[in-house]
Amino acid sequence: MAHSDFGRPGRRSVLKAGLVTGATLAMPFVARGASKQPIRIGQPSILSGRIAQLGISSRNAAQMVVDAFNAAGGLDGRTIELISRDSKGKPDEAARVVRELINNDGCQIILDSEASSGAFAVQEVVRETGTLCIHADSETTSLTADPKIRAPNAFRCARQVLHDSIVGGSYAAGIAKAQGLKRWMTCSPDYVYGRDSSSEFLDYLKVFEPSVEAVGATWPKLFAPDYTENVTRILETKPQALYSALYSGDLVSFIDQGNLYGLFDQVKFFAINMADYTTLHAVKKLPAGIYSCNRYLSTFPATKSNAEWSAAYDKRYNVLPLNWAWQNALAMQFLVEAIKKTGSDDGKVLAGALRGMTVESPFGAKGTVTMRAEDQTIVDYAIGWGVTIPQAPFVEGMEAADWTVIAARETEWKKQKGWA
Amino acid sequence: MRATAREAALALLACALTLLLAWALGSKPLIDTLMRLAIFGLYAVSLNILVGYTGLVSFGHAMFFGFGAYAFGLLMQTGLTSLPAAALASLALSAALAFVVGALCIRLADIYFSFLTLAFQMLLHAVILSWVGLTGGDQGLQGGIPRPRFLGINLADPWQVFVVTMVAFFASLLAIRTILQSPFGYALRMVRDNAPRAAALGLPVQRYKLAAFVIAGLFGALAGILMALYVSGAYPNFAFWTLSGEGMFMIMLGGIGVFLGPVLGAAIFLLLNDTVTRFTEYNGMFMGVVLLVVVLGLRQGLLDVVMARIRPR
Amino acid sequence: MNLDAFAGCLSSASCLITQTSAGLIIGMLLFLVACGVTLIFGVLGVINFAHGAFYMLGAYLALTAYQLTDSYLAAVLCAAAGVGLFGVAFDRLFMSRVYNSNVLMQLLVCYAFVLILDDAVKMIWGAEFQSMGMPAAFALRPLHVLGGLVPPFYVFLVAVTIAIAIALGGLIERTLFGKIVRAAAVNRQMVSALGINTSLLYASVFGLGALLAGAAGALAAPVRSATPGMGVSILIESFIVTVIGGMGSIAGAFTAAVLLGLVRSFGSIGFPLFTDGLMFGLMVIVLLIRPQGLFARGSA
Repeated sequence: MAHSDFGRPGRRSVLKAGLVTGATLAMPFVARGASKQPIRIGQPSILSGRIAQLGISSRNAAQMVVDAFNAAGGLDGRTIELISRDSKGKPDEAARVVRELINNDGCQIILDSEASSGAFAVQEVVRETGTLCIHADSETTSLTADPKIRAPNAFRCARQVLHDSIVGGSYAAGIAKAQGLKRWMTCSPDYVYGRDSSSEFLDYLKVFEPSVEAVGATWPKLFAPDYTENVTRILETKPQALYSALYSGDLVSFIDQGNLYGLFDQVKFFAINMADYTTLHAVKKLPAGIYSCNRYLSTFPATKSNAEWSAAYDKRYNVLPLNWAWQNALAMQFLVEAIKKTGSDDGKVLAGALRGMTVESPFGAKGTVTMRAEDQTIVDYAIGWGVTIPQAPFVEGMEAADWTVIAARETEWKKQKGWA
Repeated sequence: MRATAREAALALLACALTLLLAWALGSKPLIDTLMRLAIFGLYAVSLNILVGYTGLVSFGHAMFFGFGAYAFGLLMQTGLTSLPAAALASLALSAALAFVVGALCIRLADIYFSFLTLAFQMLLHAVILSWVGLTGGDQGLQGGIPRPRFLGINLADPWQVFVVTMVAFFASLLAIRTILQSPFGYALRMVRDNAPRAAALGLPVQRYKLAAFVIAGLFGALAGILMALYVSGAYPNFAFWTLSGEGMFMIMLGGIGVFLGPVLGAAIFLLLNDTVTRFTEYNGMFMGVVLLVVVLGLRQGLLDVVMARIRPR
Repeated sequence: MNLDAFAGCLSSASCLITQTSAGLIIGMLLFLVACGVTLIFGVLGVINFAHGAFYMLGAYLALTAYQLTDSYLAAVLCAAAGVGLFGVAFDRLFMSRVYNSNVLMQLLVCYAFVLILDDAVKMIWGAEFQSMGMPAAFALRPLHVLGGLVPPFYVFLVAVTIAIAIALGGLIERTLFGKIVRAAAVNRQMVSALGINTSLLYASVFGLGALLAGAAGALAAPVRSATPGMGVSILIESFIVTVIGGMGSIAGAFTAAVLLGLVRSFGSIGFPLFTDGLMFGLMVIVLLIRPQGLFARGSA
């Protein structure tokens, strides 16, 4: 039956195969100590592939909070055990990992550190199991805004595209008015986030400054290596200002390639995801004067507690924290405070405590962040826009957003959608 | 004919035993595992129609898995069709897709064929990502897949989904087996082993290849439909090249020359994946080394090795 | 679709210059990454599915070399040599064992290496993306040619790529090595019987293909950030170029790359949401009319 191509293996090669397999299996195995029954929190995340950084910084930040809680004696001696597991960025694998964490590993709580596609898959699993879940990395508005998708046991502790768009639109409108920027163009990655971010930004820009005009859009593919055609297309359209939702490596490549054409001398560039430490460090020649929203900055809010948290993270992991880090640190802090407050590890009890809870946080716009009860998502976190400069602290002139404006616009938007 | 009857009885028995076992143990993780095994097992067996029996090394088979899942999910979300009608319609659409893609690809030999199937799959993946209005882009089909009752079957109940998946799995295995044991199936083997000779004997080689491609695409799409039902959604990675690579990995692990080899391969693959993921985030490194060992060390799948021992040539 | 913009561009000299030069640049970068695939296939008859991973390795080696030496030239040379040597080792230790097997085995060996190299890069260089930055020598303002813009760095890249194309063509067509290589592509046994070490020959060709992949990764490093897993999009692009050009034909790959570059640069004006589709469309048309590709030797 077998193909003539497939010869018999030598005995030695089989032996070698066995040895290699055995060694690889044994290597990563670390025995876990078990004394008093710990509170297990499962963390599905992306730890491999192109966006492994997301999972790694999420895990790092959450682990810091867990260690502090355990070092302080835990809950009457009961410690928290964080079990992080790789979903490889596949939503179906994320769903499987969550089921496994709940059914096999006995996790009572899920800290979901998946990107959006995985978060929606996790949401469906926890809706079915009723497990308490905090999404800490999905920024997609509908996850908590759409009543059909929302679940009573699922919370979100992350920024939101809609909040970012309102703030970005209002900030950009101010600059457009002051500098007479009428012709706008967008260059965002061609997938859901890029499309939503661009269209919502333009919508709010027009709300706050009706005289602007969108003159064109160009859509590079996600993870594209080459942006030449997009750069020349922008040069051809001659906008006065450019908005981009590109991020990470893609944004760096776009800036490097745009620099070759002198693109940023000719347009005002609004890159919502620029102010992120990996991106800021990776761009070797950061053009001065790029407008950006804060992803995470240790200098915004300019408080002692924020600078200290950033320094502690840097000291422990030898890398500066990213947006995902503050979101996960805060999510874990919410959990820990709910556990302390209720003295319980029961998901339903904790969910009750989380609804409407306000915690003191370095990442709050005014020192606190609230888990809004009505849609179980955070508000009053620090958002601001500023202008890049080529050396540390990289961004200056940060203008903090006004949360009363965000809240008003958000309510109006939800009414339009029929979600309020 | 008698062989077919015996195999039908075997499939029925295996199906009944599996259902009985799952029912007796009533364990959720076990049912989850069996569902995934059935889905990926069927996917790998369908790919092996091409790779093992026709000698066409397709590197784009996930295209049909993804297409079937999306077609089914989208049809159900319109709310206009019943569940079996949507499944049949997506199978028909997938067969049509396989016919068009196949007609283009089989014109090319060997490596060109692998190339081209991969390219078409990446085109489909790109379309899924950018056609946000229809597919939901990278976030996949949102809002779940509605499951209206049909013929007294209620697929909102996980146990009934399990039963339907198992029945579909074993029925498909039986169907594929019957096709491969038919004169048509032996003609495919001849095309694989010596296409010029087959052509000289008057066999319409291209038509046979195309037929195999369409059949493989059809069952690959069925696996995709079952997957969509299982996860209640569809995601772009269903049509990504890594899933095609994993399909070939499964076939290689289990055995190319034995009908049930790919099912065993899928079982080993899932077991390895689930275990390794529990301990390390360097899953790729581990799986890559395993794959190298199997390809360069064993040079064939596990069942191939076993069968060679049992039936010495 | 935006046909007005397209027509407007065709009637404007500055737009024509910018887009044509952009098309050539895109095309040359495509050729640079694709020529290694074409070379290896043309001679050895195998497809290096790990080509994208080699490209990634080249980019990372260049990053490290650049950080150490601060010289772009040294970075490119180190990366090319390093990946070339890796290619030779890969060929001798792994690929050579499956040259006589079917496509599936070759494909799986490469697939295994894609998985392993992606994780290895993550282990060695970390998960975060990195960027080399533009070397000082090229940090210049774009040239103005008849109202169009042309960046000096791309002029350099295009020149290097054309030099590589000519050198490769010359090596294969005009040297003794090329003659032997071409002979081996037709009849390996005969070449071997003449007392030529074909294993060495195969390893050197595979090494050369890998070297080209590494060089491409290094040359593009100043304008493309590096991440683990970056090889896939490169691999697909290389495939399309190779298929359209005719597998194994250097001249074909060159022509196909320029064609694709122009399709993309002008396509982005007229069909901004469908540029990728245009590339695949072109491939399908070529395959329908000439399944063996534009310049292939022999039949497919």
